[in-house]
Amino acid sequence: VSWDVISRPLELGPLMVKNRVLRSSLGGRWDNYDGSGTPVRVNWELRYARGGVGAIISSNAPVHPRGRLLPGYAYIDDDDKVPFWRDLIARVHEHDCAYILQLAHAGRERIIPGIEYATAVSSTDEAEPLNGFETERLTTEGVREVVRMFADGARRAKEAGADGIELAGANGVLFTQFLSSAINDRNDEYGGSLENRARFSLEVVRAIREQVGPDYCLGFKISIEEVLNELLPWLKRGNTVEESLQVCRWLEEAGVDYLHVSSGGGFPHPRNPVGDFPAADVVKTFDTLLSSGRTTFRNYLVFRTWPFSKIFSWWWERPGKRLGREGINLSAARLAKQAVSIPVLCTGGFQTASVIAGAIERGDCDGVTIARPLVANPNLVRFFEQGRDSAPRPCTYSNKCLFAFVENPLACYDESRFDSHEEMIREAFEVFRVAS
Amino acid sequence: LTESIFQALAFRNLTVKNRLFRSSISGRFDNYDGSGTQTRIDWDVKFARGGIGTIISSNSPVHPRGIIVPNYAHLDDDDKIPFWRELGKRVREHGAAYVPQIAYSGRQRDIGGIVYPKGLSSTDKPEPIHGFECERMTVAQIAEVVEAFAQAARRVREAQLDGVEIHGCNGYLITQFLSPAINDRKDEYGGSLENRARFPLEIVRAVRREIGDDFHLQFKISAVDDHNALLFWQGKGTTLEDSIQVCRWLEEAGVDGFHVSSGSSFPHPRNPAGDFPIADVIRSYDTMLSSGKYTFRNYVAFRTWPINRLFRWLWTRRTRGGIEGINLPLARAIKESVGVPVICAGGFQTGPVIAEAIERGDCDGVSMGRPLIANPDLPNLLASGLERAPRPCTYCNKCLINFVENPLGCYEEARFESRDEMVRHILSVYRGAPLPSEVT
Repeated sequence: VSWDVISRPLELGPLMVKNRVLRSSLGGRWDNYDGSGTPVRVNWELRYARGGVGAIISSNAPVHPRGRLLPGYAYIDDDDKVPFWRDLIARVHEHDCAYILQLAHAGRERIIPGIEYATAVSSTDEAEPLNGFETERLTTEGVREVVRMFADGARRAKEAGADGIELAGANGVLFTQFLSSAINDRNDEYGGSLENRARFSLEVVRAIREQVGPDYCLGFKISIEEVLNELLPWLKRGNTVEESLQVCRWLEEAGVDYLHVSSGGGFPHPRNPVGDFPAADVVKTFDTLLSSGRTTFRNYLVFRTWPFSKIFSWWWERPGKRLGREGINLSAARLAKQAVSIPVLCTGGFQTASVIAGAIERGDCDGVTIARPLVANPNLVRFFEQGRDSAPRPCTYSNKCLFAFVENPLACYDESRFDSHEEMIREAFEVFRVAS
Repeated sequence: LTESIFQALAFRNLTVKNRLFRSSISGRFDNYDGSGTQTRIDWDVKFARGGIGTIISSNSPVHPRGIIVPNYAHLDDDDKIPFWRELGKRVREHGAAYVPQIAYSGRQRDIGGIVYPKGLSSTDKPEPIHGFECERMTVAQIAEVVEAFAQAARRVREAQLDGVEIHGCNGYLITQFLSPAINDRKDEYGGSLENRARFPLEIVRAVRREIGDDFHLQFKISAVDDHNALLFWQGKGTTLEDSIQVCRWLEEAGVDGFHVSSGSSFPHPRNPAGDFPIADVIRSYDTMLSSGKYTFRNYVAFRTWPINRLFRWLWTRRTRGGIEGINLPLARAIKESVGVPVICAGGFQTGPVIAEAIERGDCDGVSMGRPLIANPDLPNLLASGLERAPRPCTYCNKCLINFVENPLGCYEEARFESRDEMVRHILSVYRGAPLPSEVT
């Protein structure tokens, strides 16, 4: 019964997706340091295309090297990247799976700045609060340049044969840094009132529309609930739900075909990806970030030192305990859906067919996007097809994948899901082996 | 003046076009599982295009447990042979010979990785600088590693490459057996020099069994351990006299050439000899913090004045007599004791220095690492009559320190017009960009 609902095609503007499950944007440091793509990225995407999802939203593809979260992700900053994406997308299409390229600019929300640009750019010149990455404030002209970078990125995505574009506007990246009342401290036309704070996002949407025309799928991922102070209580809370919904209405007017609802004004955030804070694993991989920010050394000591590590884990895990892990964003998605008439996708821990079908039937959302549960079970949709409600070994929301990927290949590192450590490693390494 | 550099060199089973060897330099260019990438091919081809006679490959683990750091192409399985064959083919198109270096890290690693967090060694004492923990090898495990070397060598031959280099120096597993400062075994693999040399001799014999008598086999050895250069409270380890004896035994066992380095660890103040760039260490050493027992102590020490100054002083005191050719007296001593050619490592980049070393009979060829990272076309520049590259390597060792976290390349900003130019030079490995000497 759930499969009947999940298997219904989904119209995202001009794009028809064969079912209601999309793979959320999911990175992995598979590509070259200079942003050129590799066969490993292709293998990685095929893993999900074969698993039966209706569409794949690409890894976070920077429109400029300075807008990179961390090295090892394929860019879309230059025309020379088009052939790589074209090849990848053609391979994904062989599996009757749509491909949506996610265009991104991280702003000050970085993980490893890398060797090219020691400082980031943002709406503000305040350092990013979790790791302390230094940033420069974009000039008004600088903002307009970034708008053009997005428009160029969109043109390249279309040339590469992508079925649509999604703008990475949630989770603390540059769009959030403009939208957020807690982060944006500008005095020009891109700061102050909600209208001004939304100007950057809306200009990007309009510039892309001009570039790709009306009949091309364009989505926007947005954090409806920002709750920037959920992790670091001394920060401001950020945009209200009502403010976010107003932005959604403007985005629809400006020509967006679908919304993708997430939460959190930063990444990672206790609500996204909601789940455990695996302190022992964090100690093993967070060191990679230590030289990156001003406050990383403080964090390293906190994560290593009892009782701080315990307190931090407890603090991190509170929202999930209060709000539930699977479908944590459904109430926000429902509000968005009531505010706009375009389709709404919802992300956040989905992996149970009845939960997904129930959300769609209730009208909370039109489809769901999944990341971690697909890392654990790339064939999840095949299980749904067979009438199962969940995978035999579901994702445990341990968040070990998330904290490992900075140093190790992105994969499921919850050993309890495997018969042995060796089996876990074999599965983690499969991405290197599939013939490309 | 530099004619002797560009004369062919004949080993028993291999003749190479000139006296310049690219030393084993790696870069984390491959996949985490040890499969090779296009970037590794482009990296090695860059040096072949620059005119080098022979390329010794990146450190190629004969088993996944023998990695130094993830992302180096392995030689642990027959499924790797097609990659190496392709790599060799591409390098040889430019007239260079290709000699893979087969290796096993033992307890000395940079990042243990997710597969085998603990290394194997002759001892069970942790590696003293970073504190990498290890297990003492049983006799059965020793036999397995010997066989892993033999099979890796067979793969090299099957991949139609030009020879094999056994990595027997710089603190990795073979040093951990050879060195009396590290090897504390009571069985037939520890104690006397004969016992400590048993492991490398077994490897050489097993490799010969697999590759036959007509395939080039060279051995890289630390002529002296100088174990107390940094760890000044410890013993000095293997002496030159010991090493000469080991080389004689190795030659009898079938080695066709020696590659002389020094130092019982990597890095070591003698190798790569040069600066200890504190600011760069702070920026990339964090990557190793979760790997060893003492890494956190070091991290704090490298960050803290005056401890970091003291460390730098200890590091540079061995090289005040000069960096280029630091190992030449050692190479000469070995050359006088064996009948096969000897290659010397250590900071070479000046035409007359190299030519004189060869003409004096200190060595038959030289190997280069850092100077080629700075100037991949150094051989072509020397062949064109220049004594040195216009912008020589400064021995700042920033390349060495950065590679754990960043792409291997020259990070000495003073050598470039701008930081942007430096970054372009570093990232050019991903694009197969032309060398300066190829652009008129």
